[in-house]
Amino acid sequence: MTITTLKLNLGPQHPSTHGVLRLLLELDGEKILSCEPDVGYLHRGMEKMAEKMSYIQYLPTVDRIDYLAGFFYSELLCRIIENATGIELPDKVRAIRVMLLELNRISSHLLWVGAFLMDLGAVSPFFYAFREREMILRFFEKLTGQRMMYNYFVFGGVRKDIEYLDDVNEIISVLPEKINDYEKIITENPIFLRRTEKKGVLEAGKAINYAITGVNLRASGIDYDYRNQDSLYKGFDFRTIVLEGKDAWARYKVRIMEMRESINIIKQALDYLKKAKPLEQHLIPPVNLKLPEGDYTAQIEAPRGLACCFVRSDGTDKPCRLKWRTGSYYSVNLLRELLVGEYLNDAIAVAGSLDIILPEVDK
Amino acid sequence: MNWEEFERVFNDCILEGNKIIIKSKLHEVIKFVIDNYTYNMLKEITACDIGNGKTELIYHLYSVVDEEDLFISVTVTDEAESIVDIFKSAIADENEIYDMFGIRFAGNEDLKRLYMPEDWKGFPLRKDYVQDDTRLAWNDNNDT
Repeated sequence: MTITTLKLNLGPQHPSTHGVLRLLLELDGEKILSCEPDVGYLHRGMEKMAEKMSYIQYLPTVDRIDYLAGFFYSELLCRIIENATGIELPDKVRAIRVMLLELNRISSHLLWVGAFLMDLGAVSPFFYAFREREMILRFFEKLTGQRMMYNYFVFGGVRKDIEYLDDVNEIISVLPEKINDYEKIITENPIFLRRTEKKGVLEAGKAINYAITGVNLRASGIDYDYRNQDSLYKGFDFRTIVLEGKDAWARYKVRIMEMRESINIIKQALDYLKKAKPLEQHLIPPVNLKLPEGDYTAQIEAPRGLACCFVRSDGTDKPCRLKWRTGSYYSVNLLRELLVGEYLNDAIAVAGSLDIILPEVDK
Repeated sequence: MNWEEFERVFNDCILEGNKIIIKSKLHEVIKFVIDNYTYNMLKEITACDIGNGKTELIYHLYSVVDEEDLFISVTVTDEAESIVDIFKSAIADENEIYDMFGIRFAGNEDLKRLYMPEDWKGFPLRKDYVQDDTRLAWNDNNDT
């Protein structure tokens, strides 16, 4: 008897691929025999672009690397410049940045909760999640003028002083209740459990070998959160969420628990900002900014895993080489092994649970 | 970190802070480092065109146990040693470097164009790259 297999293109237009990811699957019946991810449909040449631009010209574009978590990449580029020029951030700027980063992390996780449940066929959580995300985006719009591409962090500080703290206060007073509501609908839901428990099991050793970071690594039982080493977060008290589940359900649960932890961090930043004096900052003059010759690296814990930026400067006002490391790129690479042996209808659940976003993959 | 043993085995390397600069034997060095120290994650591989047709590859290793970063730098011309048998994450990095710099990795047969179209000529992040593909708008001769 000969076994005939079927080659199936999942994507690039499939609604559950969160953008334009194409997975080339080889199927035996409904069982996946092999998976070959194909990316590059959203390539904008962020790294090549950097070599033709001065640092301040490049800064507004980096929000587009991950349009759901733009603050993180602005922060990363600012951090490179600040480290290279030896500027220490004032405490108020640190508090503002931490607060905005964590709000951004919550909005990104909220979108994931909605989109993931939609992948599994449950439509209503999408609207609940977007209702709360909207509150955060409204606040961002008031503060920065933009809902997604903020361009708010500048070298050495922020573009203008923080305002509308009452909005933040309202967000963090409403959110815990709403997250409880999500948990009531989703966490113990028997259909959800059957679709996510023991699906896409990622052993710790394999996760490390594939350079998986962030939530997906912590859901496999490895305690690694770059925020613990990050000087920006110094003085903030928070826990690292680690679960041993290793499956898609654990990745969901870690994200929910992380949102609660982020609210905790925002509370601390907010308490500080309410009492703080008006902002005094010494911005780095961005015109004709030249970095001293050498290599600079910076890292940050972004919602989709560790993000790194590498800059090699030759002493001019443009970087000689600039490289981004993004978490999603490695999650896509992991799919070639994680999907093997699963059934086709679980492929969406497993790929969705890794929180892949394609602009971050393609850069 | 005890580097005496490392320097005894590989005597022509230079140690600068947490960066090791080696001349060759990349696969052997990385194997030695992960076997003898606690480094277990390859965060990324960065390639830099340093002129004269040479490219510097910087391997960013990390130890989850000790929370330490280590950089290993090696300079290659057209071909480098693949480490996909040690780190599976290198499949992604090596493919990206092939696409952008045209470096082949011996031992990784699966290299293909990743971001660029399959029939694209040239490797965009090399310093000697000329943007002369006819599909680019500014190279369209009919548009004069």
